[in-house]
Amino acid sequence: MIRYLGRKLLIYLVTFWVAVTIDWAIPRFMPGDPIERLLSRMQAQPASADALTGYYTQAFGFDVPIWQQYLNFWAALFQGDLGRSISNFPTPISELVISALPYTLALLIPAILLSFWAGNKLGALAARRKRLDNTVLPVSYVLTATPQMWLGIMLAWIFASSLAIFPVSGAYALDLQPAWSLEFALSFLEHWILPFSALFLVALGGWAIGMRNMIIYELEAEYSHYLASLGAPTRLVRKYAYRNALLPQITGLALALGAVTAGAIVVEIVFSYPGLGSLTLGAIQNRDYFLIQGIFLFLITGVLIANFIIDIAYVLIDPRTRVGMQGGA
Amino acid sequence: MTAHKRWSAVAVGLTAFIAATALGVGGAGAEQQSAFALPRAQTLYMSGNQWSPNNDLNPAKNWDYITGLVGFAYETPFRYDPLNDTFKPWLATSGKWTSKTTYSMTIRKNVKWTDGQVLKPSDVKYSFDLAKISTHPQLALWTDTGLKSTKVSGQNVIFTFSGTPGYQQFDFYRFNVAIVPQHIFKKYSQTDITTGNLEKGKIVGTGPYVYQSGVGAQSQTVVWRKNLNWWARKALGLNPAPRYIVDIHNASNAAALANFKAGNIDLFNNYAPKAAITSNVKTYFGKAPYHLGANTTWLFPNTTRKPMNDRTFRRALAYSINMGQIIDKAYQGLVQKASPTGLLPIWSKWVDQRAVEQWGFSYNANRAKAILAGNGYKDRNGDGFVENKDGSTIDLKIICPNGWSDWMTAIQIIANSAKAVGIKVTPAFPEYATLVDDRGHARYDLLLGNDRQYSNTPWTYYQYIYQLPIKDNQTNTNYERYVSQKAWDMTKVLDKIPSTNTSAYKAQMARLQRVFMQDLPAIPLWYNGMWAMFNTKYWSNWPADGAGEYTPASWRNYWQMTSIDMLTHLKPAARA
Amino acid sequence: MTEVSHTDAVADPGIRARPLPAKPRRSEFVYFAFRNRKFVLGGSVVLFMLAAALLGPLLTDYAPLEFSGPTDQPPSSEYWFGTTSFGQDVYSQFVHGLRSAFVVGTIGGGLAWLIGATVGFTAGYAGGWLDDLLNMLTNVVLVIPTLAILIIVAAYVNVHSYTTEAILIGLTSWPWAARAVRAQTFSLKTRDFVDVARLSGRTTRQIIVREIAPNMSSYLLMMFILLFGGAILIGASLDFLGLGPSEAVSLGLMMNNSFLSSALLLGSWWWFVPPGVGIIAIVGGLYVMNVGLDEIFNPRLRET
Repeated sequence: MIRYLGRKLLIYLVTFWVAVTIDWAIPRFMPGDPIERLLSRMQAQPASADALTGYYTQAFGFDVPIWQQYLNFWAALFQGDLGRSISNFPTPISELVISALPYTLALLIPAILLSFWAGNKLGALAARRKRLDNTVLPVSYVLTATPQMWLGIMLAWIFASSLAIFPVSGAYALDLQPAWSLEFALSFLEHWILPFSALFLVALGGWAIGMRNMIIYELEAEYSHYLASLGAPTRLVRKYAYRNALLPQITGLALALGAVTAGAIVVEIVFSYPGLGSLTLGAIQNRDYFLIQGIFLFLITGVLIANFIIDIAYVLIDPRTRVGMQGGA
Repeated sequence: MTAHKRWSAVAVGLTAFIAATALGVGGAGAEQQSAFALPRAQTLYMSGNQWSPNNDLNPAKNWDYITGLVGFAYETPFRYDPLNDTFKPWLATSGKWTSKTTYSMTIRKNVKWTDGQVLKPSDVKYSFDLAKISTHPQLALWTDTGLKSTKVSGQNVIFTFSGTPGYQQFDFYRFNVAIVPQHIFKKYSQTDITTGNLEKGKIVGTGPYVYQSGVGAQSQTVVWRKNLNWWARKALGLNPAPRYIVDIHNASNAAALANFKAGNIDLFNNYAPKAAITSNVKTYFGKAPYHLGANTTWLFPNTTRKPMNDRTFRRALAYSINMGQIIDKAYQGLVQKASPTGLLPIWSKWVDQRAVEQWGFSYNANRAKAILAGNGYKDRNGDGFVENKDGSTIDLKIICPNGWSDWMTAIQIIANSAKAVGIKVTPAFPEYATLVDDRGHARYDLLLGNDRQYSNTPWTYYQYIYQLPIKDNQTNTNYERYVSQKAWDMTKVLDKIPSTNTSAYKAQMARLQRVFMQDLPAIPLWYNGMWAMFNTKYWSNWPADGAGEYTPASWRNYWQMTSIDMLTHLKPAARA
Repeated sequence: MTEVSHTDAVADPGIRARPLPAKPRRSEFVYFAFRNRKFVLGGSVVLFMLAAALLGPLLTDYAPLEFSGPTDQPPSSEYWFGTTSFGQDVYSQFVHGLRSAFVVGTIGGGLAWLIGATVGFTAGYAGGWLDDLLNMLTNVVLVIPTLAILIIVAAYVNVHSYTTEAILIGLTSWPWAARAVRAQTFSLKTRDFVDVARLSGRTTRQIIVREIAPNMSSYLLMMFILLFGGAILIGASLDFLGLGPSEAVSLGLMMNNSFLSSALLLGSWWWFVPPGVGIIAIVGGLYVMNVGLDEIFNPRLRET
């Protein structure tokens, strides 16, 4: 098992290195000079423009050769320094990302986990009850074909704009300051529920369909028939079927992370939720390369870590992989 | 479901909510155990200024600092009333030219910083001297006006110039240099002072409001609290009405409008379509155009390319533009057509009507066609569009930033107007950052620009059009790369005429207007509005034409004009 | 194999690969196809939307971006889907947007299919170091969130047409398809008919194209449908972010413009509801059709 996980870890490290290098390289080899952009945005007076150019060139490390910039980048990375934002100079990028990250995680983590749990349960239920199946299946197809931002817009229109049950934007009420108080927590939840729902519902559909099909497949497998013919109670058969069906779903979880993150970005924009989505959009509009790069560094790292956790979970859940590994798979 | 399963479902759901909340509250930067909600009737909510993150506390970075930093915390020696063209003594009680090359500013006594220390003339000298740093955004004060030195003499600060001072420019700095406390700022490095964000624990100013909370990269609001020791309470009897001011970070105009409609915003300085002005919403004007004109929107032709380098072509283009349709379709009547001189309405007293009659332009498609025909622009290949004098095709692109919906509509109308007289123009909407880059490097045909706002002098507008020399990257002036040493010299002459010399000033302005309209290096289109909608539920006595003529903008650089007066004249709304 | 979310279960050879559906005979396919409700329903919806995309624009006089009428009008006999805040015809924008959706789906999905199949077949059949290398490549592209890469690239490339956007999507969304094809190729590789082909001297390419692929044809078809639908969804997100072509018409762009123009607040539902419904119809129809195909090809799932 150690060897298996070790090999996986190695693959992830290499993937990390490649992804980060690509992430670093793209801004630097694209046309356009970020410093000139910054000066234009500042509406820099010609008088100070020259001095500022020199200052920023040095501040961004553009005055050293490219290979050295690359090495400096890695050195800084290990110290947790992702560089400075161009559009919000001199704010460190790590500061910008870390202040936005909790909001995105607050949307993503419950959405991923809850939709996975609920979707699988729902799918399993639908697999064995025909009538439930006839409603769950079509609804799930519609949900999974729904673009998340459109669902966000619809939820905002119905529940916020028209019925005024929930607020239409923001992470908390405008007259509150962040505090560990019940009032603030409730305001936060009130603003959180709609963007969360947009992500949750779309992901739910996918898991439900997947699980439903896997269950049907498992129930048709030979071992199920064998168990049934031995007189095992249906519940037992279903339990085994569920466990077997869960395995590919877990692997699918790793693959789904990318899609849900993308969904979170657009949903945040719909609700002006101050997470990574809004930050990304601002970075794109301002061509703040370093900020874009920093955000995606976080995303890539997060996805890799999540993948690794899922791999560990998989090994723990599926005994065959452990046995198979001992044979040096 | 079985009871067990039902409970586990509830447990899972609850855990999710708690986890989300914990992340959110912690992430939002919860700083204290409990927080009070601000009292609605004593709080003014405003939006429309802050698009970048709320973490820039540097008064020198006047394109980026948090709303109100200069105005609420830091103040300026004078304030300027653009609607009445007067300077108001503020931190300085008076100022005058004691000789042709020296200016003396008398600093008010008994003004306290919020840390208890007294404002000294040395603070004022220090603040002006900071602009000498080579990376300071206001370096032009020392390089372009002739200013040579500053000196403290008693309660006065003496400014000494060499040669003829740039009176107009210096006047501009008189109400735009933020006075900062030397005893705090001397601990910052030079880089911090010119490019840094500075520290939120050290906002020590003289102004009417004190920073309360909210600075942070992703924060939604910044809260200011009234400064009960503000000097103007005693000295001038001024008391701004709101006890708290909350400035709201903008993610989009749409989100802000939703909040305004819900009654959460009192002063709305974002752009909103005319349909948003409902009966319970007040604006500066009671009818069209509803808003003051804040800046001129120009059509900049890239004069380094054919045929934009030909002034007869520019003139024809000017005549072709259907301004009425732009005002109607793009703005539903919220803006006004600009004077052919390009000068703002506040400068209408300087407009030379005779020159306008002789050299001005207005929408006239036939005239446009005639000018083209009479100057060698003919449609030789019968495709409906004219070609250059040398026969090469004319196929121009007009650009504006993607997402600026009103401008996007406007340039489509301009393109259609041009096509109607035979000039092939197609609209495009690149990203803002790309546009800025291309604009600076003259990689465009036609674009819109409106950077210059209110100021004390039209000199800022002529500098915007004529400044030389042309650099590789034209970051903030002369995007059209128009080279006329004569016009730039005339602009410099204008700078050196003191405002007190009205006759010379008027004559030079007339000359400049004539030269401008004859050549039309840029085509003035309309006055973009000082968007301001007022929610009258909690506050009343907002600025209005004829009854409280103050600039109703929370935008940067406006507080030190008369937006502060808006606050001191506000009244709590009568109980409903 | 019928997971229709953006995921795919067949990802790791450690998992038991789903058995391939039996290779259907033509008449058998037709017989079951038109009896399968899901296939018929899904297929009809997709065909209807395709017809709308091709013929819809012919039914209106107004160009999608033209300022043809009064602003913010609800649907009427003159403007079937109403007008936007700028006085543009929503119906015209909608049907032109459907066209862009199909372009993006075909080119984006097709390109992803091509790359995914090629990489999958090569990795699965060749094995050894080539397999490891392609595996690494797949992992890298897989782990980086697709939208992330697209945002970075589209931000620089200044996408000018939907073809460009579709190519970008195709270049980044193939990994799960490659993995799936690889897993299937693995299991097929060991079959007898492949050995026979190899012994009779067929080249690798011939073996893949003539022996292995046809045995997976139904699977490949279903994979294409999923990629098609996925490309449309990704394209809509990109357009919503403003990264697609800016002076064009697409469903995602309609959602973006309506959102930015406060259509929510003004209640102009006719502007933002149709684009989403259009996408759900196309993509949902495709997914349902896909399930139907799975049932047709896989007797075990048939409900008859």
